[in-house]
Amino acid sequence: MKRMMGLVCTNYTDGDFGLLTKDRPIASIPYGGRYRLVDFPLSNMVNSGITTVGLITPHRYRSLLDHVGNGKEWALGRRVGGMFILPGSIYGMRNSNGKFLLRDLLGNHSFFERTARELVVISASSTVFNIDFRQVAEAHEKSGASITLLYKHMDDGASGKSPSLVCDDTNRVTAVNTGETGAANVFMDTMIIDRELLLRFLDWYKNQSYLDLLDIIREDLEQIRVYGYAFDGYVRSITNATDYMSASMELLNPQVIKELFMGERQIHTKVQDAHPAKYGPNGSSRNAMIATGCVIKGTIENTIVFRGCTVEEGAVVRNSVLLPNTVLEEGVVLDRVICDKFSHISKGVTLTGTVERPLIVNLRETKK
Amino acid sequence: MSKKECVAMLLAGGQGSRLLALTKKNAKPAVAFGGKYRIIDFSLSNCVNSGIDTVGVLTQYRPMILNRYLGNGEAWDLDTPDGGVHVLPPYATEAGGRWYNGTADAIYRNIDFIDNYDPEYVVILSGDHLYKMDYNEMLEFHKERNADLTVSVIPVPWEEASRFGVMSVDDDKNITRFAEKPKEPESNLASMGLYIFNWDVLRRALEEDHVIADSDHDFGKNLIPKLLGEGKKLCAYTFRGYWQDVGTIDSYYSSQMALLEENPEFDIFEDNMRIFSNSNVEPPHYAGENAVISGSLVCNGCIILGTVKHSILSPGVYVGADALVEDSILLPNVRVEAGARVFQAIAGEGAVVEAGACFAGGNAKEKIALIGDSEHFKSL
Repeated sequence: MKRMMGLVCTNYTDGDFGLLTKDRPIASIPYGGRYRLVDFPLSNMVNSGITTVGLITPHRYRSLLDHVGNGKEWALGRRVGGMFILPGSIYGMRNSNGKFLLRDLLGNHSFFERTARELVVISASSTVFNIDFRQVAEAHEKSGASITLLYKHMDDGASGKSPSLVCDDTNRVTAVNTGETGAANVFMDTMIIDRELLLRFLDWYKNQSYLDLLDIIREDLEQIRVYGYAFDGYVRSITNATDYMSASMELLNPQVIKELFMGERQIHTKVQDAHPAKYGPNGSSRNAMIATGCVIKGTIENTIVFRGCTVEEGAVVRNSVLLPNTVLEEGVVLDRVICDKFSHISKGVTLTGTVERPLIVNLRETKK
Repeated sequence: MSKKECVAMLLAGGQGSRLLALTKKNAKPAVAFGGKYRIIDFSLSNCVNSGIDTVGVLTQYRPMILNRYLGNGEAWDLDTPDGGVHVLPPYATEAGGRWYNGTADAIYRNIDFIDNYDPEYVVILSGDHLYKMDYNEMLEFHKERNADLTVSVIPVPWEEASRFGVMSVDDDKNITRFAEKPKEPESNLASMGLYIFNWDVLRRALEEDHVIADSDHDFGKNLIPKLLGEGKKLCAYTFRGYWQDVGTIDSYYSSQMALLEENPEFDIFEDNMRIFSNSNVEPPHYAGENAVISGSLVCNGCIILGTVKHSILSPGVYVGADALVEDSILLPNVRVEAGARVFQAIAGEGAVVEAGACFAGGNAKEKIALIGDSEHFKSL
């Protein structure tokens, strides 16, 4: 089998997440009780035997670099290969919704040159799934493709936010559409591309660096063998705060937890090593995911609770997400709220959001 | 190798046979404790929190889980280029191979290891005690008193003193007499099995003890009386705080149940003197639609569909629908299948309580029910 290297792209617009992306890029949004979104593409690559991964940074990269470090947690702190932090360009001109800005690839040209690996797995960092790319690479070779785009067929799930693929009987991609709703093959923001072709692209388009890799592919569908790969597992794209909330709630489905986190391929993340979650005599949780370091004396329902949160006696939290180190004092009532890290909700406060507009409590904010 | 002021040697080779089924396949220091920890975490974390970055871990009995758990010491920030965790099993020489024969023999056989670091002081630790302690304070005491050996002691109730090695001291905390499990103790200061030696003194004592034919090569039985007899300066450092030797199933059980109290005496939850462990990367625990959880410790990777009360669930435990777990300790990856009941019990790593079974202690037959690693408890 041809050998793969990985590229994780994180440099793209984050306008729809409200306060959640005030101080962080999409890639480092906390997700699933202990992870950050970037953990999924990174883990997928590592779990597929990829040992060289480039990470293109967004322009506010502090939290991202703090999280990934030198890649040690993903076994990417290596003598040979490993994690390469590739500085992303500062996008003065925002390229619509592109996620694979050519300028970012051009600026890191040498990363793609200095290797003997034949395939590059390119993934954005706002879609959650658990996959073995070796199977995709096999299909890629078998079909004789130069590019394989991963998609998930949705009967009615396409929201028009992600591009979708039209494929012929042989699964060759004949069109890439945007704005499709209803039944569609929704692009998973992930592809495999022959490295030689990628280098040729970078050469041909070096003067049009404002383009997006997907734009170029779309233009060349007749000349280049672009195939689709249908993934049949759980896929969830997260494009705004409402999505974030509903995607978090989906994690409370045991089947989803099992597929994403409990199978053979673990999602790796930065280990924090907190004490076990401690329930007080009156604490309780139902339909919830609760991380270590929490002290639960109140009631938790349909909620994701990250590390180090405190829920005091009499506090009730429903349909919400508590990011690390949130404190809910006695008698607090929350429904459809996202509490960002280190937020503090004082005694007796009631906060309520809606499904469409979850209420977001800002990082380090105190609500009285 | 640069010179170190202080090197720690951690004795982790014992079986701990009084933990019965829990140490059938696993050395006592590697037995899970308090959910995500293993017993050795407490001594190792003490080292790190005291700034000791060079630790030799002496292994012998069933070291597989222990070795895997220690890894390169990274989890305790002990993967330093100039020091770190070193697993030291018995080894062969040109004269043949043999097992470690006593605690002092284990250290004797690793004189070369310690010499490498050319330390002033060597701390001897047990890998199976629960306590939080800053060894620096003891070392300062040792230096101030200009001692050859300092033994850490803890006052115990007089009626229990005869279970321990007991130190008699004068007004200046000089040890005047040492008695191993005396019938009529003349002091209630129990040795914690924690020593700081001047390396030159210990080194000579080990070499001399090595050639004594009828010696048990044991610190308490042989080395301390020998140094005392030679007129060396032995001091007792009194530790005031929580200290527990998890010797038996009873103490293993009760010391963990105490963690469930609101403000436990042994506080593993506070941020100062943090306890480190080699954590897994499992997802946060999941409480199902009909789960009831209260008064418990629950670790990552657990799936709880039934009821859990006043219990400790280690990583990766599964509690099926309509199952009930109460007053129990479930070690990593235990499965309590649907409808099963577990009461006042300890289940070893990977053990299974089969669907509908009732696995319970608290009766005339056994106070605490126990099954070992990977065992199945079937419905009767």
